[in-house]
Amino acid sequence: MSDKNKNLCEENHFSDFYKKNLQAASNFAYYKCGDSATALDLVQDAFAKIWENCSKIDFDKVKTYLFTSVNNLFLNTVKHKKVVLTYAKDVPNLDRNNESPDYILEEEEFRIRLEKAISTLTVAQREVFLMNRIDGKKYREIAELLSISQKAVEKRMSGALKILKAQIENI
Amino acid sequence: MKNEKKILKWLDQEFSESEIQDLKQTESFETLEKIAFYSSQMQPPRVDADAALVSFKSRSYQKSKAKVRSLNFKVWFSAAAAILVLIGASYFLFLNTDTSFETHIAENTTIYLPDNSEVLLNANSKISYNSNSWKVQRSLNLVGEAYFKVQKGQTFSVRTPSGIVQVLGTQFNIKERNNYFEVHCYEGLVSVTFKNKTVKLAAGKNFRVLNGSIEYLEDSNAPKPSWTEKESSFNRIPLNQVLDELERQYDIQIKTEGIDTQKLFTGSFTNTNQKIALESISIPLKLSYKIEGKTIIFYNYNAK
Repeated sequence: MSDKNKNLCEENHFSDFYKKNLQAASNFAYYKCGDSATALDLVQDAFAKIWENCSKIDFDKVKTYLFTSVNNLFLNTVKHKKVVLTYAKDVPNLDRNNESPDYILEEEEFRIRLEKAISTLTVAQREVFLMNRIDGKKYREIAELLSISQKAVEKRMSGALKILKAQIENI
Repeated sequence: MKNEKKILKWLDQEFSESEIQDLKQTESFETLEKIAFYSSQMQPPRVDADAALVSFKSRSYQKSKAKVRSLNFKVWFSAAAAILVLIGASYFLFLNTDTSFETHIAENTTIYLPDNSEVLLNANSKISYNSNSWKVQRSLNLVGEAYFKVQKGQTFSVRTPSGIVQVLGTQFNIKERNNYFEVHCYEGLVSVTFKNKTVKLAAGKNFRVLNGSIEYLEDSNAPKPSWTEKESSFNRIPLNQVLDELERQYDIQIKTEGIDTQKLFTGSFTNTNQKIALESISIPLKLSYKIEGKTIIFYNYNAK
């Protein structure tokens, strides 16, 4: 056991790791299940696993371990809620200079269609798509966290885009 | 999707104005641009890290059926020795916690493993595994009969009292009963280790050990075992094994009088209708039977 591993079992170090990664892990869980209470439960359970296995986990891999635990715990839950994501307040439109009411309404409708379309993606597609779009993660990073290849990430992104485009254009 | 590679690249990195101009040639680029822009403005719920940490520290953790355990963080503030003992003991206990599932007579059940692999358990069978080390090692114990649909991933192994079956991602059936060990591979590739001998089975191939001797059966094209569709079928199996299975599927005791139970039987019986099931055995073998409460006695009508 190297010194690095011992650190994770130290309360201060663990708490730091916890606070630093809580939001990202909770986002990930939320993208999967669409319910904030369930998401928080999944994340707390995942951190519990890390704490209990703290001396066994390789420090370089602990972030991946966190995401994989959330994923596995999610697979064990039976309930799946429809995932609904909301927008930040005062969302600017793509063309900030366009103030015509028609345009504003059109963009509002687009956002609604987009929300609905995102909830029809598979869990795999949705989590990758939102980790890239909302959390701003690069494909390489997503691949590492989910223990899949970068190609697999790209495949899921591509699938998501195709479905979103088709859903939005068909309505 | 045209220009797929470029589109994917654009979403992964910052593109210059000129590179974006290039992309505008793509069909539906306008829609894609809006999708990319608006989705990035969505907000998942914010979590209060400090509050969550406090809540985390005071949780007691409920683990699988068999165990309830609580981690008391307040111990941190007392003697260091006590801390080490607590971590050591709970670590040890935690790792040894097994999840298990059991079926009784006339019961089938479906279980999902932590990696979403599926196990259908036939009557009177039991599986157990450690769900916490599942991520690192997919290994479970089986007594009885089960049909597995394994997700792709690390080597998946099933230990039975008679032998070990290992697979990568596939569908297969293992039957482990008295003096009877049989493995059918329905998809993929399976390796079976029996008494230091290892055999590989491809899809459609079957392997059986009956009373200690190994037999390879004919290839079968069935997509999955018949018992998963509520029918038990047998191909040249001694009658006593067939009667054992009858006892497992129905709540009955079977006795025989003057019958050679080593005789090989090929045929099947339904698991949902006792009368028809009994006749599926008695008619082809030209036997009769009488019913005394929960006991069925098979006998030879023409016996002297």
